Amino acid sequence: MRNRPSRKVPVLSLTALAVAAAMPAFAQENLPDMGSSSEPWQVDTYYENHTAFRGRDNTGKVVGLSKFRNTMQVEADKKLSSGWVFHSVLRGSWDGVYRMNKGQYGEDAGGSIGAQSTLGGTLADVPWGSTSPAGPLGYSAVAGLGYPGSANNKFMDAYPNNPNEGLRVLGDRWHNVNGGVAFATPVRPCNVDRRGCTDFGGYGDKNTTELEFPEFNSRLDFIREAYVKNSLDIGGGQELFLKLGKQQVVWGRTDLFRVLDVINPVDYSRNNIYDELQDIRIPMWIAQAEWRMGASETMQDRNLQLIWNFDQFRANNLGQCGTANVALDAGCFFRGMRTLWDYGGTVSNFANVGPDTYLATNFGPGQIGLANVNLPKWSLANTQIGGKFEGVTMGGLNFSLNALHYRSQLPSLHGGKRATNSFTGQYQNAWPYLISFDMEFPRVNLLGGSMDFQSEALGAAFRFEGAMTWGEEFANTNREQLYSKNRVWRSVIGVDRPTFVSWINPNRTTLFSAQLFWQHIFDHERENGGVGERGIPDFKDNFIGTLLMKGFLAGDRISPQLIIARDFRSRTHAIAPALEWSTTDKLKFTFGANFKGGSNGGNSFDDCRSCNPFAPYTAGTYPGDPMTAYSRGLSGMEPLGRFRAGPIGAAIREDEIFLTMRYKF
Amino acid sequence: MKKTLIAATVALLATGFAHATTEADVENTFNPYKGGFPKVNGLNPGTVINKANADQFKDAIPAGVFKLVKDGMFEIKVGPTTQFELSKAYIEATRKNLGKAKLGAKNGDLEGYVAGRPFPEEPDAKDPRAGEKLAWNYKYGVNWGDGAAISPFYWKYRNMQTGQVEKTIKFNFHFLNFKHRVKDAPVPEVTPNPSELFRAIYVKALDPQDLKNTQLLIQRYEDDQKLDDAYLYLGFQRRVRRLATGQTTDAFLGSDLMIEDFEGYNGRISDMKWTYKGTKNVILPMWNHNELKLATDMPAEADGYKYVDFGGQGGCFHSASWQLRKVYVLEAAPVNANHPVSKRVFYMDAQLGNLNGANEIYDRKGELWKVFMVGKSHPDSHLPINKGSGIGIDDAFSMVDVQSKHCTTGQFKGQVDPKLNPPSMFQVQYMRGGD
Repeated sequence: MRNRPSRKVPVLSLTALAVAAAMPAFAQENLPDMGSSSEPWQVDTYYENHTAFRGRDNTGKVVGLSKFRNTMQVEADKKLSSGWVFHSVLRGSWDGVYRMNKGQYGEDAGGSIGAQSTLGGTLADVPWGSTSPAGPLGYSAVAGLGYPGSANNKFMDAYPNNPNEGLRVLGDRWHNVNGGVAFATPVRPCNVDRRGCTDFGGYGDKNTTELEFPEFNSRLDFIREAYVKNSLDIGGGQELFLKLGKQQVVWGRTDLFRVLDVINPVDYSRNNIYDELQDIRIPMWIAQAEWRMGASETMQDRNLQLIWNFDQFRANNLGQCGTANVALDAGCFFRGMRTLWDYGGTVSNFANVGPDTYLATNFGPGQIGLANVNLPKWSLANTQIGGKFEGVTMGGLNFSLNALHYRSQLPSLHGGKRATNSFTGQYQNAWPYLISFDMEFPRVNLLGGSMDFQSEALGAAFRFEGAMTWGEEFANTNREQLYSKNRVWRSVIGVDRPTFVSWINPNRTTLFSAQLFWQHIFDHERENGGVGERGIPDFKDNFIGTLLMKGFLAGDRISPQLIIARDFRSRTHAIAPALEWSTTDKLKFTFGANFKGGSNGGNSFDDCRSCNPFAPYTAGTYPGDPMTAYSRGLSGMEPLGRFRAGPIGAAIREDEIFLTMRYKF
Repeated sequence: MKKTLIAATVALLATGFAHATTEADVENTFNPYKGGFPKVNGLNPGTVINKANADQFKDAIPAGVFKLVKDGMFEIKVGPTTQFELSKAYIEATRKNLGKAKLGAKNGDLEGYVAGRPFPEEPDAKDPRAGEKLAWNYKYGVNWGDGAAISPFYWKYRNMQTGQVEKTIKFNFHFLNFKHRVKDAPVPEVTPNPSELFRAIYVKALDPQDLKNTQLLIQRYEDDQKLDDAYLYLGFQRRVRRLATGQTTDAFLGSDLMIEDFEGYNGRISDMKWTYKGTKNVILPMWNHNELKLATDMPAEADGYKYVDFGGQGGCFHSASWQLRKVYVLEAAPVNANHPVSKRVFYMDAQLGNLNGANEIYDRKGELWKVFMVGKSHPDSHLPINKGSGIGIDDAFSMVDVQSKHCTTGQFKGQVDPKLNPPSMFQVQYMRGGD
């Protein structure tokens, strides 16, 4: 299914509408004169090369070149009339990795794969996509069982339309199958292999050229920013600040984490979680108005901001399967699931035909997988609005109160959907607990706030940020549709302390910045299903700590830094050292790496093999009523272990070194 | 009880030296040259002081500057001493509020101050708190007036030995006094001002690439005991970051200037023990901008403005004239024993009340570490907007690290124009409107 509505016309017309709507209160002379200003354009042009290299992934093979991105960026500013200013950032990049390392990321990526069965507790390699010799369960074997209607079963003995080439086993880059669920995911660009290619929200259906030139697409991403802004004097020392156009709106006081900073979606395909957010926020067409009230008798500053994101919805770009940066490996999960729906495929360790015996099984199309991606179309109701009050108290405490009505930028998979019973051929619009999914992007409401202050005694600045959301959805194997809506609290406490470290630089402080992120899921469900735990894979309370140490040498022209992040519940960590060197005011090099460690050993979770959706055929030897569908809690790393592993754990075998060169013309 | 007694004794001491200030003190403080300009034998307009003849004028040269000249780092061209009349509004405010300002019990406490120069009387060497009074005169001095901008402001990091310019930063600096305003509306205070801010500095970096769109806001409270608030907007983060301001000895952006060095001294009065060391006549870098041979290697300004040129060793020294001035020698020793500076020596221009003409900064071992020289132009010989402002226009600075043989230089385009410094610019929210 394709779900990429044409949106160019609505955006442009709505931009004009937004500008018009925001302006009627102001006289004509306040409008910008786009052409006749005598102020010259201020233009800065940059070239950047980012080259990255990866070592061995979980398969034991050296990945090699993982990025060879060449970027041209033009930042152009012009003062217009009546105080208006135009600002734009144009960015175009070409990533040569798809040609230079085509065995990993291009037309030769992937290959033929195998599957796995568990026979009496022993893991056994079996062929993928066929039933002989000693292969997975297929049509013939099931038909041979002789139950009434068995001849109508929809398992497959072979996949003539789904060849075993250009494939990888889902998750093979970061974990072993180890008796869990596994299936194939195509990894070649979509002009080479269309299997599983679907627009999951700006990624997932890209051909080689589109992957090479990511900004040149129907959403005109090469226009990173293009807006006009002005501060209009409304008397009494107060101002109305307007910023209209394609822009980033940044809320909050936190580094790395996005608690309040959720207005713009994020492109993780560029460099996973390792780029500055300003380079990976996806700018949106937004109208922003800010009533700057200034001081009052009781507060030093007061501001009320309203934002209207009238752009068509965009999701976070999690990275297309087969590219270097696939956050949470989610893009591969989605592509593999979409392929299962369209073509069927072998699923390892699935059919529980005896104690400790789980046979690889050849599903046919339309039985399990991901069927529909329901990206919100443009409509007035689908636009996103928010408001923020930001103030400074008499004592110097800065704070904000934030509210946002938006769409989740992360997808939610709704299961238990329509499908054909693999065992009988019976079609139903709903099969509770069946891993037949549609992808949705639910509406979310957020209320939050932030504050900061400094402590003279500790020589440090403290930052707090917190937000509660209503409407977010989480995978939940305790529910018929395999998801639940849960309220979530997220917060970050940060402390920044510039400290003299004499052996680094006796005259310049080294910045130490530590943060602790806490996420709490309300009404969290987790219980024993008989075989193992079922419910929400995400931890009820999760904590991630980060520590940044950044030094400055040689007049700040050389800056070593070290970032350490520890995901305490997933028990994984990332260590990212880097060295920045500005050889001149125009030329800067950054050499760095990121190494991950820890163990995903505790991150397996209920994979719904024991959900018994096609009762009684899928009842196996699991405990409980064989005629009732629900999860007994049999677990593996796929597919839900990724939500426990998190972005660090899911990239645990993606150690990387990189060199970035940036030149200003 | 014991503390109360001590405080009372200190207050009594302060009061004991608080002689009744008079109209004559006002006349004298703002026109110390009523009886004629100072003279030093052989030191005349046109004299060039260099390593060969420096000894001859040693008493008329600040000690740090003397070392630089003796080491052959640069030569000083002497110009005529000129009047730097302060703004009439500031003088009038001093006159109107004569005798109202009193030192409090503790260093850093001031009571009754309204506006103008708090202590216009001549410092008395017998007064143990004379140095503190001079420090207050600096804090509430004219400096950049009620508000001004340096736009643009070029800083260059230079290797003194090779002459290599390692880094060039282009800034805009803006200053605003919230309180004790004497000239530009609103007078006497920007209201409402519930936090009792005294002053704020807003800085925006335009170049180079790694600093582009970085903004800094420093808010100073009227209460000297209170630490500044500071906020940083990083262009690459797109958000405002609260700064811990305790580390005022941090090298600002890696330059040779600490944050504490700004404008001569940028810290709390209570952070230092101030000692008045006497009155002298020494040379300070002060000139008429339009009469200088100006730089030809700087970016062109649309209005034709040209910057002060630099020369000497490593290009570390402003190429402009110095003049003989009446100064108060003031010493400041950090209260904090861990401070990297053991003392600062200021040559406070008696007329202007500024601290930044020729400062010496000594390291913890007591050895000369840095010499800071900020040259001022008469406002009437500068941009037309500055004419008649009664403000000595900071025009060029040189911070020389004599130990590491490195320097940072600054070239100003100072503009005393209230329109460039609206109060809204000095609120945190202003930064959030940045690109």
